[in-house]
Amino acid sequence: MKRWVWILPALVIGTALGLLYGWVVDPIEFTDLTPETLRADYRADYILMVAEAYQSEKDADLAARRLAIFGSDSPAEIAASALPFGRENGFSASEISALETLVAALRAWQPASGAAP
Amino acid sequence: MSERRFPWEAVLAFIFGAALGLAYAWVLAPVQVIDSAPEALRAEFKDQYRAAIAASYAANGNLTRAQSRLALLNDADAYQSLSAQAQQLLAAGQTRESQQVAQLASALQGLAPTVAPSTPTVPIAATSTQAQDPNAAATSTPIETETPLPFYTATARPTHTLIPTPGKPFELGTQENVCDESIGEGLLQITVQLTSRRQLPGIELILSWSGGEEHFFTGLKPELGNGYADFNMTSGVFYTLRAAEGGAVVPALTAPVCPAANGGTFFGGIRIVLQRP
Repeated sequence: MKRWVWILPALVIGTALGLLYGWVVDPIEFTDLTPETLRADYRADYILMVAEAYQSEKDADLAARRLAIFGSDSPAEIAASALPFGRENGFSASEISALETLVAALRAWQPASGAAP
Repeated sequence: MSERRFPWEAVLAFIFGAALGLAYAWVLAPVQVIDSAPEALRAEFKDQYRAAIAASYAANGNLTRAQSRLALLNDADAYQSLSAQAQQLLAAGQTRESQQVAQLASALQGLAPTVAPSTPTVPIAATSTQAQDPNAAATSTPIETETPLPFYTATARPTHTLIPTPGKPFELGTQENVCDESIGEGLLQITVQLTSRRQLPGIELILSWSGGEEHFFTGLKPELGNGYADFNMTSGVFYTLRAAEGGAVVPALTAPVCPAANGGTFFGGIRIVLQRP
C-alpha cells in the first residue's frame, strides 16, 4: 500500500522538472522573428536610426518605408512610439529633437504624393 | 516477511510527469517571444536593420556607435555581410542605400572616407548620452549603458560631406589591351582592389569622354568579383577613367583594334586594375 503513496509526489516532481527544463534550462529558441518582437530599446534605437538618417536625407518616403517593418500602424505613430521611451531612458536632446522632427515630417507626409509637403 | 521491491511505479510516474511538463513547456505553452534581439530577426529584416545602421552612420559619422549596433546582429563577418548587401542593393537599383552600406563596410576596414556629421535641423551642441552596448542582447538594455558620444556641433555644412580619405588614393595597378573575340567588343573591365588583392565593392567610378560622363559602381556583378565593374566603349571614342573619391586618372582609353581569327579585325577591350596601397 505504501508503495502507491509515492506515485503522486513522483508525478508532481517529474512535471515540475519537465517544466523547469522546458521553460528555463532549454527553452525553445526562436529564429527568423519579425521586428514586432524586438525589445523596446532595440525598437526605439531602430526608430532613432531612421530619424538620424532623415535628418540628413530629408526623405519622408524612405523613412516611412524603413519604419514599415514594424507593421501596419502609420509611420508617424511608429516614430512617435519611440519618444516616450527616449525621454525616459536618457536619449540626448539632439536625439529627441531628431525623433520629433521625424514624427512631424511623417504626420505631414502623404503616401499618395510620396513626399512631405 | 515483507520484500522491498524497487519502486517502479514511482519512477514511471516521475517519467510520465517529466514528459507531461516538457510537452506543456515546449508545445502547449512555449516561451513567448516578446523581447527579441536583432540577431534573432529573419534575414530580410536583418538586412533592413543593417541598412538603417548604415544610413544612420552616413548621417552622423559615428563609427563606434555603428559598430555597436552591427554587433547586435551577430554577423560572423560584418564587413562581408555589408559588402554582400551593398551589391544586392546596387543590383536592385537602390543606389543611395547601396552607397551607404558600402561606405560603412569600407569604414569598418578603415579604408574609406569617413562621413562628417550633418548639421542638425535644430542647432544643438550637446553631448549624446545614449549608446548601444554590443553585448546588450545578453545583458541589460543598451540604454542603461551610457557612453559619452562625440560632440554634435552645428556646422554650416548643408549636407553630409565626404572628408578626404585617411587611406592612400587609388593608383593604376595594371592596364592591358584584351584581344579576345569571345568577349564583347570594346569592353572596358575594371577591378578595384587593395594591394593585398582584396576587391572593394561599392566604389564609384567615373568615366568621361567628349560630350559625356558615366558614373558606375564596382560590385554590380559579384559573380565576376566584388570589385569588378565594366563598361562598353564605343569604338573611336577616347575615355578617361577615375574613382569618384580621387586618385589615379587613367586617360586616353579607347578600344584597341585587334586581329581577328578570320584575318579581319575587331575592337578589343581593355582590362584595368585600380588599387589602393
